[in-house]
Amino acid sequence: MSIDDTGAIRLSTPPPDHEARYRRRARIGDALVVALWLSSAVAVALFLVSGGTARFGSVSDAVTSVGIMTGLVGTNLVLAMFILAARVPFIDRAVGHDRAIAVHRALGKPAFYLLLSHGVILLVGYGLASGLNPIAEIGPLLAIPDMPLAIVGMALLVVVVVTSFVSVRRRFSYETWHLTHLLSYAAVIASVPHQLSIGSVFSPFSFERAYWLALYVLAFGAILTHRLVEPLASSLRHRLRVGRIVTEAPGVVSIYLTGRRLRSLESAGGQFFIWRFWTLGTWWHSHPISLSAMATDTEMRITVRDLGGGSRSISAVRPGTRVWFEGPYGVFTDAGRTAPRLAIVVAGIGITPVRALLEDSTLRPGEATILLRASTLDDTFLWGEILQLAERKGVEVTTMIGPRARTGPGWMTQADADRGLTILGLFPDLLESDLYLCGPTPWLDLVEADARAAGIPDHQIHAERFDW
Amino acid sequence: MRARATAVGAVGSLAVLAVAWQVGTLLDAGQSPGGTASPAATTTATPGASASPATDGSFVGAVENTRYGTVQVKVVVAGGKITDVVALHLTDQGGRSVQLSNYAAPILRSAVIKSQSAKVSNVSGATYTSKAYLLSVQSALDKAGL
Repeated sequence: MSIDDTGAIRLSTPPPDHEARYRRRARIGDALVVALWLSSAVAVALFLVSGGTARFGSVSDAVTSVGIMTGLVGTNLVLAMFILAARVPFIDRAVGHDRAIAVHRALGKPAFYLLLSHGVILLVGYGLASGLNPIAEIGPLLAIPDMPLAIVGMALLVVVVVTSFVSVRRRFSYETWHLTHLLSYAAVIASVPHQLSIGSVFSPFSFERAYWLALYVLAFGAILTHRLVEPLASSLRHRLRVGRIVTEAPGVVSIYLTGRRLRSLESAGGQFFIWRFWTLGTWWHSHPISLSAMATDTEMRITVRDLGGGSRSISAVRPGTRVWFEGPYGVFTDAGRTAPRLAIVVAGIGITPVRALLEDSTLRPGEATILLRASTLDDTFLWGEILQLAERKGVEVTTMIGPRARTGPGWMTQADADRGLTILGLFPDLLESDLYLCGPTPWLDLVEADARAAGIPDHQIHAERFDW
Repeated sequence: MRARATAVGAVGSLAVLAVAWQVGTLLDAGQSPGGTASPAATTTATPGASASPATDGSFVGAVENTRYGTVQVKVVVAGGKITDVVALHLTDQGGRSVQLSNYAAPILRSAVIKSQSAKVSNVSGATYTSKAYLLSVQSALDKAGL
């Protein structure tokens, strides 16, 4: 894949107003946050207007009502988590997959505790009504139709949540964790019958019932469409296979993937796909990897380094291997810009999305500055392509080669740290720039901390951490 | 941006809940079995205040509809006194209804027999069943002239 002259055509279009586009995306993000709050309120409101207000008359009624409401809000949050994890293009474009998943994670514990307390509070409430202690009330509770199934659902949810606690999750491979996480769908489905049949909440043909069923259809529809049907259809339609494999540097290879009508995927420079290579050793393993060049209609390129078991087996795949994919995802792109200028700091294999981002960006001469960082000359792969693109687009490039400094800013070389170089020295316009960072996590954290200390606003930092 | 959205969301949610509480209370006042006065329930049923003398026998009360199913009782009167209340049908829609009905009916039955009237308090946790049960008792008592 050559650096062709599409850039020249792009240059002739007027440069986009990044701030205006950012404000629009931020408004969508805000609207989503408000919608999340309101949907929880609506869940409770529907309960209140369909007879709930009458159910606070006695202590047992009030406790029971509170228990029902915690269940409603908890369920609403779980359905919201499904939608956030569904990689809905609309949400991905507005807030980015990273932030969607961050919100998904943040909702996890509240939702779980709400659903647990739903069970406990109702045991207390039912117990108060029938004069039993909450433990003794478990027996009658189990006798209610659909309740045993709901309790199985709760148990599945416990498994899902416990395996997602940071300390526990580290013990499992991503695949094991992910398979376990899929149990959350089973958990929610198992809980539906008791919600429908314990008719205090969802009496037949009520608006409340229609609303909740619509919410379930929306959440499961989003998951099915965007996590299953759409990727599968896309994989089949584009018929992607491994083409040639080119060694870029010791341990680093570019894999060219050939297929049909690849431009119709409309992937933007800097986005990633989740790849699945159909060989015996790799098919069960999916890899999020950015394109390292813009796709042509018949060819895409990814560049990977031998790190960890997964990426090694990828770099050993044979030409002709069938490839399935999900994507494109991510807002490490020109569309993610928020500020008038652009600063890029990139190290090692992190060069890949930056290479594609640069190719895809419309830039005024002098708008962008890039710092290319490498520990050794072996890590300077793709730098030639970056330099070529930079020259054509009027991008200023600084290179910095050498091991990380032991004193001073640890992300620089010792020599640069010693002569007192700062991030503002490298990027004088940093505060009105978008800072795109890509590289290994420990290194990237240092750059990010330095940039924050210099006063750059959070939304102007775009970080892609490469740990493989 | 983010903090403001959260604040708007939180305040908006509170507003939604406040409105819902008001609407729910209004709807409930209009819908609760006690509120919709059935003709039978309007006649007074205090023992002794009734003009016609009580007849012995069984009196079937009106069918009362609730969101959890219908409720109907039969009141047995002997010697001018309520001697038994037999549940002909109790709330049975929704998972817990049968349990609640089985729990509440004996309590209501003995309360009615003890007080010799339908004016007894609801069984907590079984409000709908209680209200409908007592309305049906009242209509049976009206037929009996008690």
